[in-house]
Formats: sequence, C-alpha cells, structure tokens
Amino acid sequence: MAELAADTRVWTGKVTGKPACGPDTFVLELRLPEAIEPIAAGRFAMLSPAHGEGPVIPRPFSIYEQPDASTVTFLVQVIGPGTQALETVEMGEGVDCTLPLGRGFQDPDPSRELVMIAGGVGSAPFLGYGRQRVAEGAASNTTYFFGARTGDRLYDRSKFENQSFRTVLATDDGSLGFSGSVLDSLVEELDGGRVSREALFCACGPEGLLHAFAALCRERDLEGQISLETYMGCGYGVCNACPVPTRPDGALGHWPWAKSCLEGPVFPLEAVAF
Amino acid sequence: MLSTRVGGLELESPLMTGSGTFGHDPLALSFLKEGDLGALVLKTVTPEPRTGNSPARMAEFPGGLLNSIGLENRGLEYWKESVAPLLEEVAVPVVGNAGGHTVEDFVAVSEAFSGMEGIAAVELNLSCPNVDGGLHFSTRADSAAEVVSACRRVLDKPLWVKLSPNVTDTVPLARACEESGADALTVCNTLLGLLVDWKSRKPLLGRGYGGVSGPAVLPIAMRLVHQVSSSVSIPVIASGGASRPEDVLAFLVAGASAVQIGTASFRRPDAISTIAAGMRSLLQKNGLVASDLVGSLKWDGGGEKPREN
Ligand SMILES: Cc1cc2nc3c(=O)[nH]c(=O)nc-3n(C[C@H](O)[C@H](O)[C@H](O)COP(=O)(O)OP(=O)(O)OC[C@H]3O[C@@H](n4cnc5c(N)ncnc54)[C@H](O)[C@@H]3O)c2cc1C
Ligand SMILES: Cc1cc2nc3c(=O)[nH]c(=O)nc-3n(C[C@H](O)[C@H](O)[C@H](O)COP(=O)(O)O)c2cc1C
Ligand code: FES
Repeated sequence: MAELAADTRVWTGKVTGKPACGPDTFVLELRLPEAIEPIAAGRFAMLSPAHGEGPVIPRPFSIYEQPDASTVTFLVQVIGPGTQALETVEMGEGVDCTLPLGRGFQDPDPSRELVMIAGGVGSAPFLGYGRQRVAEGAASNTTYFFGARTGDRLYDRSKFENQSFRTVLATDDGSLGFSGSVLDSLVEELDGGRVSREALFCACGPEGLLHAFAALCRERDLEGQISLETYMGCGYGVCNACPVPTRPDGALGHWPWAKSCLEGPVFPLEAVAF
Repeated sequence: MLSTRVGGLELESPLMTGSGTFGHDPLALSFLKEGDLGALVLKTVTPEPRTGNSPARMAEFPGGLLNSIGLENRGLEYWKESVAPLLEEVAVPVVGNAGGHTVEDFVAVSEAFSGMEGIAAVELNLSCPNVDGGLHFSTRADSAAEVVSACRRVLDKPLWVKLSPNVTDTVPLARACEESGADALTVCNTLLGLLVDWKSRKPLLGRGYGGVSGPAVLPIAMRLVHQVSSSVSIPVIASGGASRPEDVLAFLVAGASAVQIGTASFRRPDAISTIAAGMRSLLQKNGLVASDLVGSLKWDGGGEKPREN
C-alpha cells in the first residue's frame, strides 16, 4: 500500500501575489514560513482559505512555480465554491496548504525524448517539468504541446515560449498556433516524424483530453503518463474518497483501486483502467 | 489540563480521531504534536477484504460532507501482517475499529485485536450506513446486545460501541450495549443522507445514499450525546461535526468524556493539534481543566415557560 510522502508538511502560507492570468484564472503566490526543497513536477498541494470560509474540504492544485526557496505558486482556474473562496483571500492573508503531496511525473533519462501535453490549466505541472529538463541539459529532447479553446487561455504562454525547449501552441478557435486540438497538433508532428514514437508522453488537462490521449497512446503503442484530476477529500491518504481503478495485471498490484492522492495523481497509462 | 478517562483508558487529551478519517495506519500521526491526541482510532477492519463502493464516494454541501466509502479495507489478514506491527511504536493508545455483517464477523475481528499488543481498546462499528446487511445491529437492541456480549467474551480490553443516529430512539440501544458489557459508547456515526444533481437528475454519490458528517451534524450529535450520557453510566465519546475548540468543550459539557474529530482533519491534517491548542488557551483563561466540564450542563431538561396572556 502506498505511503504518505515523508516530506509532506502543513503550513499557513501568506498571499504575496494574486495576478490575473487569462479569463477566470489567476496565479496564487504563497510565502511559506520556511524554506522547502524543490518539488518534483506533477506533485500537488491541498489549499483552503485560512479564514475558515469556503467548502469543508480543501482543493487540490499542482505546484506551478517555486520562485524562491520559501515561495510556491499555483495556477488557479475559478470554477466553483472552492476556487472562488481562494480568490477572495486578500494579499497578506493566509491560505492553509498541505504540500507536497502525491507522486509526480517519472523523470526519464535526459537522453530520452520527452513530450508534454497540456490542455488549459493542465499546463501547471509542465513549467517545472520543462525547467527540470533544461537543467538536465535535455531541452533539445523536449517538446511541449500546449492547447486551449482560445489564445487567451494559453495561460502564461510566454513563460513556456521563453524556455529553451520547443513549445507548440494549439487553439480550438485557431486564434493562436495550430488550429485544432492539442492532440491533433501532436498527431501531425508524430506523422511528420518531428516527434518520436519512442518518447515518453505526459499529459495533463481535462478528462476528455486525457481519454483521447489514452486512446492515441493505445492505438500507436506510445508510453504515456497522465495526471488525473480525481475528486479528493483529504489529499493525504486518510479518507478513501479518491479511488482510481487499476488494471489487474498492472504495476499497482492486485487491489482494484489506487489512491490518487498517494499513488497518483500521475499514473502510467498501463497501470490504470482509464 | 486536557487529561481524561474513557472506558478503561487514561488519555492525555479528550481528542481522538474518528474512524475512517485518519487512515488505516498510524502514518498521518506525524502531523500532530505530542500530547494533543488522546487516542488514535483507525479505519474499520472487516474479516475479509472489502473493495468499497464505486465512485463518486464523497460529495459536499455548505456545512458538511456526504460519503459512501463502503468500508474499503484490505481485511484482517493483511492488517495483522502489515498494520499491527506498526502500532507497537505508537505513543498514544490505538483503538481498533471492527466491522462486519454477522456476529461471527465482529467476534473474529475483536478476537484478533484482543491478541495485538498495539491495540489498547476496540470500537465496534455497528453503525456504518454505507454497506448492505448488518443494519439490525444498529437499529435493534436485542441484536446489538447479542453482538456486544459475544465480543465482550473474547476481548480482554476495553470495548466501545459506536452507535447510529439513524434510529428513532438511541437510548434503548445504548442501554442494551451497556448491559452487555460495553465500557464506553461512541455517539454517533454519520447520518443517512442524499444529495442530488438536479440537472442530471442523479444522486451525487455512486451509491446514492451516504453518511452526512461535518459541522452540519454538530447539533444532532450534541443532542444525542446529552440523551445517551443522561441514560447510561458508562462514558460517552462524542462524534459528529466538531471542528473548533469550543465545539469540543461544548460536547464535554453536554456529557461526553472525549470527542472524536473526523471531517475537520480533511481540511488540515493537523486540525487536532490546532483544536487542542485552542482548548488549552480557553481552559486556562477560565481557570478550568477539561474534566471539570464533563456532564456539567446547566439545564434540567425543561425550558423557560412563555408568559401567559
Ligand atoms: C492533483 C490535482 C491537481 C490539480 N491542479 C490544478 C491546477 O493546477 N489548477 C487548477 O485550476 N485546477 C487544478 N485541479 C482541479 C481543481 O482541484 C478543481 O478545479 C477544484 O477542486 C474545483 O473546486 P471548486 O469548488 O472551485 O469547483 P466545484 O464546483 O467543486 O467543482 C468543479 C469541478 O471540479 C471537480 N472537483 C471539485 N472538487 C474537487 C476536488 N476536491 N478534487 C478534484 N476535483 C474536484 C468537480 O468534480 C467538478 O468537475 C487539480 C486537481 C487535482 C486532483
Ligand atoms: C470519509 C469518511 C469515512 C468514514 N469511515 C468510517 C469507518 O470506516 N468506520 C466508522 O466507524 N466511521 C467512519 N466514519 C464516521 C466518522 O468516524 C465520524 O463518526 C463521522 O464522520 C462524524 O464525525 P465528523 O463530523 O467529525 O466527521 C467515516 C466518516 C467519513 C467522513
Ligand atoms: S483524497 Fe483522501 S485518501 Fe485520497
């Protein structure tokens, strides 16, 4: 059975920034009372306003950036009561955060090609992941496919474009980059040989995108990993509200469920019945 | 300042975890400060592994949660091998929570807990609303008496019984448990509830009905704690909706000797430590210790009469 990560702590962070970042979305910057280690890409935090308002349970968010040793940021799309409550926390006020949680993306050898695929705020884990690749000297081996409905939903796209790995943009309305879905742009590059089938493919985004991605990986025999947005109650393994169905012959053992918050949120496609 | 006595155990603090809200094992204890938790109550164990219910298993409404986990657990054999050895190192008393469908199930788990060095007391979960079968244990006094007596016979440790709020009158059940040898009563488990998504016209939970917990149930649990503690002479452990230090102190006043914290631990894993710190400061300011409050409700059961015209 999976265990709670040894480095998980609970803090009250202070809001030091909350700039808007495209429609309905803002970057929540929190200063923690202590310095923390760099967090592996794909791991997450559970957040709720320290003033006690908002839903009874916290909300999960991927770590976006760590601008310095005691600051973390989150890319938050405001969609319902939990995210609205976070948006109302003022500068200087507190946000309760438990972090880092879960397991992130597998870190492939720098010599292996890495393809990252994001839809909308699914981009959050990939800024860190991409930078990690740059630090490993693997930028030329790394491609980032970033899609959204419209160009203004390619949140912080210049941050990605300024990196030394290649970024491919796609919009459903054709307002920026490739016209069509992010997976269509990936398929085009696979067909054109600009992306190798031997790469490790990592995706994060809406469930529909992940299902299409899983189908593509099966069809073309690609090794894929997905970051799932499973509903979570606690985020640290104690409530059993986050079951993800496993494959009987997969790497997660014979139990029919994995806990998304401990064993995920990133899963190899072959391990889960998705 | 916080120490209390509950059903055969001396506890450093009246705060406990609620079964199923702090894990199957002691790992999350790392979030809590020493001296804040009185006892660690672990997730219900059944004789056979149970894979639990299909998602969605949890849904929310303003003030609380609805859950239908379905007692997912890996069964007694796994527990003996993988969890029991971890308990011997735990600094606070650990309470094993037993579940099942039949008297034999409850006896099998109690017997196993009886032989485990790391288990200080046993809580019988007669009252999970989220599984099929076994409902009569929580609704019929004769069935409750049967299972409690049977477990009492195989157990050399304090025996607690967790009651259901989903009955018209809890008192006969509470009395039956006391007469059958229970050392304490936990009052109460989740309340049966339903949440519906009007657009899809479907329940929010995969299984439909679930158990309500969180701040919304506090007054119901408070009333039950008062009723039960006024009717039995064994200690009562409150469970339901406590999230603030004041809630815990109020439960003590209403008649509880200890209070379990469940849903509140989801928001912050160190909620129990935050609550303990708040209690210490409130007690200190008022020159009290926790045990002063137990059962101190100033109310004779009546109310002020309205003025006659
Ligand atoms: C590991 C992980 C990382 C995530 N990272 C990000 C991120 O970086 N940026 C971002 O904007 N969003 C992220 N999300 C999604 C974010 O958690 C949800 O959008 C948020 O919980 C919605 O809450 P709400 O109350 O505002 O909306 P609600 O009205 O509660 O829900 C809207 C939708 O979000 C889902 N949802 C609600 N509560 C939860 C929950 N506790 N856990 C998961 N899903 C939930 C619901 O099923 C529903 O589909 C992540 C989710 C997970 C599991
Ligand atoms: C997600 C969840 C799982 C639970 N699992 C169990 C369980 O396995 N056994 C049990 O006796 N009670 C279980 N309960 C009930 C709690 O222990 C507690 O009695 C109830 O939630 C009310 O307290 P609270 O409002 O503080 O959460 C569960 C509650 C929740 C919310
Ligand atoms: S969210 Fe509670 S166990 Fe995973």
